[in-house]
Amino acid sequence: MNLLAKVLFRYGSPLLALVALQPAIFATVDDAQSFALQAAEPYVKQGFQVREDYWGGDLGSGEKKAVRQQLFKGNEYWFWLGTEVDRAKVSVHVYDSDGKLAEESDGWQKGHFAAAHVIPKATGSYFIIVSVEESPEERTHWALVYGFR
Amino acid sequence: MTPFTRHVKLIVGVFFGLAVCANGAQAPQHIDVKQLSTTVEDVVVPLPNEIFGALNKLGPVNWKEHVRSDKGPNFTERPRIALLLGTVIADGFIAVQAEDAPTVKEIGQRVLTLAKGIGVGNSITPHAKAIIDGADKRKWENVRQELDRTQNSVQQAMNEVHDEKLSQLVSLGGWLRGTEVLTSVVNEHFSADGAELLHQPDLLSYFQTRLQAMPEFNLPIIHQIQDALVEVKPLIDVGDRRIPAASVKKVNEITTRLGHGIVVRD
Repeated sequence: MNLLAKVLFRYGSPLLALVALQPAIFATVDDAQSFALQAAEPYVKQGFQVREDYWGGDLGSGEKKAVRQQLFKGNEYWFWLGTEVDRAKVSVHVYDSDGKLAEESDGWQKGHFAAAHVIPKATGSYFIIVSVEESPEERTHWALVYGFR
Repeated sequence: MTPFTRHVKLIVGVFFGLAVCANGAQAPQHIDVKQLSTTVEDVVVPLPNEIFGALNKLGPVNWKEHVRSDKGPNFTERPRIALLLGTVIADGFIAVQAEDAPTVKEIGQRVLTLAKGIGVGNSITPHAKAIIDGADKRKWENVRQELDRTQNSVQQAMNEVHDEKLSQLVSLGGWLRGTEVLTSVVNEHFSADGAELLHQPDLLSYFQTRLQAMPEFNLPIIHQIQDALVEVKPLIDVGDRRIPAASVKKVNEITTRLGHGIVVRD
């Protein structure tokens, strides 16, 4: 058996396994961001300007994260949350600085995508609560993007 | 227990169970914000055009009055270049509001020069070209998007080489210039809704915290900004009260002074 054949025979299976697992191992917040941007796409046609900047990280099932954001009265905002884990269920909700739910009723949650719509009644700080409600993964990457018009 | 009673209890139990499930799927109407210990520290600083958009909805604004295209000196200190870069990008958004193509093109070029000055020119070249191209074709939405991309690319390139502090100074420069123009517009035609756009105390605290963590940037302009933010805070951190015209005027004086300090040599 030549050397190449020996190497393939000995290490082929682990290499194949690594290639098969690659998406799970190397998935990143950038992948989650691609999904969040995918959720935002239809809104661009409605005149929403989607920011290049975004928040991201990873959460376990049932975990939440709160991010603080300055919103301006007069603007209209959508927040889009995405993850690359397609069997995960995520949610996003927006509260004002007093902790009162501040979103419109047309927010939505579809598996690994979720969105919240805000027309601020006052200029100030708001809390965006992102949550991984269910996921087959131990840690689930998430990314949140927003747009305004 | 009679079969009937058991049956009723079962129906009531199922009904309440379903109600709890439905409620669990919905967001609570109130949360205790004081218990949000997991808050992400880094806030996304709003773009100047986010504020300008809100301002536009309050009435017509003569954006041409606020366009600034003077090239200013070339600095060698990287923190100064970063502050100036943020300011120049904000000037780009103002020129787009004014639909001033020659100024937008000049700003595209200036952004590239400044980005090169802090070693991130390569990541900006395509954006600068797109800004100039968009201005030539008067595609203002494209230019706005490219300005956002420019700022984001500059900051990402800085973060990659662990220059996060310079990246924060880019945001700060843009915020200061945006606030200068916001207060100038509201000062000319005062309205309570216009003044309310200044209600950004958490953002101001964010910048204060970031500046405190930059003792190595021992430059007069950094100290001036730190002192100015202390002055501005009580004027905009008013809780549920309205921000009066006098406060808008004062914030305008402070940010105009700082804006001048950022673009001219000490």
